[in-house]
Amino acid sequence: MSTNQNFQPKIVVFACENSGWLAAEHAAELCLSYPEKVEMIKLPCSGKIDVLFFMKALEKADGTAVLACQKENCKFLKGNVRAEQRVSQTGKILKEIGIEEERVGIFYLAANMGHKFTEIVQGFYDKIRELGPNPGKVIK
Amino acid sequence: MIIAERKPIDEILGFLSQHQKVLVLGCGGCVTVCLAGGEKETGILSSELAMARSKEGRPLEVAQKTIERQCDFEYLEGIRHMVKDVDAILSLACGIGIQTCAEAFPDKFVWPGVNTKFLGVNLNVGEWAERCQACGQCVLDKTGGICPVARCSKSIFNGPCGGSQNGKCEVDPDTDCAWALIHDRLARLGQVESLREILPVKDWSYSRDGGPRKLVREDLELESGK
Repeated sequence: MSTNQNFQPKIVVFACENSGWLAAEHAAELCLSYPEKVEMIKLPCSGKIDVLFFMKALEKADGTAVLACQKENCKFLKGNVRAEQRVSQTGKILKEIGIEEERVGIFYLAANMGHKFTEIVQGFYDKIRELGPNPGKVIK
Repeated sequence: MIIAERKPIDEILGFLSQHQKVLVLGCGGCVTVCLAGGEKETGILSSELAMARSKEGRPLEVAQKTIERQCDFEYLEGIRHMVKDVDAILSLACGIGIQTCAEAFPDKFVWPGVNTKFLGVNLNVGEWAERCQACGQCVLDKTGGICPVARCSKSIFNGPCGGSQNGKCEVDPDTDCAWALIHDRLARLGQVESLREILPVKDWSYSRDGGPRKLVREDLELESGK
């Protein structure tokens, strides 16, 4: 674990436009803030996420996550289930090359959860900060 | 379709340990369909390799490209400009594509990124099964469209053998007995009586027994001979 208190991880968060993305907008309406170095990318459904997206994100980021609709509440029925599988697949790939699988995550929330959104993002940011810089980062 | 499976990452990293710049080359043919070496798998593996080497402190510059087919020289010609800039190529094509690639670029290392498994069919998501052994003399007309060469564990021609039980093979209880399948299918077609005909000993000279095979069709050859 990193002892560098100045370390500011770069995080890429993929968000379903029906939940995570709207929750981020809700957080903005409530004037809630989250760490600056969190890059948000909108997805039409969390099921659009792919191992490839996570891997490409981790070439330049310290952690990456997907924000999906609550379980059994996906507009497209199984998008969040598929997203969960892809998080698991990515975790296995990371583990194979000696990188902490915790650097990829999935969180479930609803569109009206602005507070929950900031809580999730801040929590993930803090966890990655504790892990320290991604040792596999390619683009420094 | 040719079915392949990606090699373990440690094996691939071993191949590339001496290189600093590689081209990960995917194929848009069979390996794309069986999710072993298409554009997406090429991208994932490229990231995985770059990250693994970055972690080791020995950065690897990775270029990536997926071409229509690696088993055709024409498509390989199109990447010659990329190949000249790299130390080696990691091919995610089947064994045919890998060899064609090595033949097209004789001065470059060409490493295999997949294990070519068999000629088969996609049964389910993530599940494939063998259907053909390319024996060179098809007998599917006599066996109801079910191949005894590829699907019978013993490749016998007048089955089933004594190890067939409840439609399953004694070699592997998860494998259907090909001859049970043949019988059931011919029965459904009202052709079961045709099984009374004893099939002659197979002429394996059309298969691998005569060494590497080659097919020449003079009707397709152009005047120039190419």
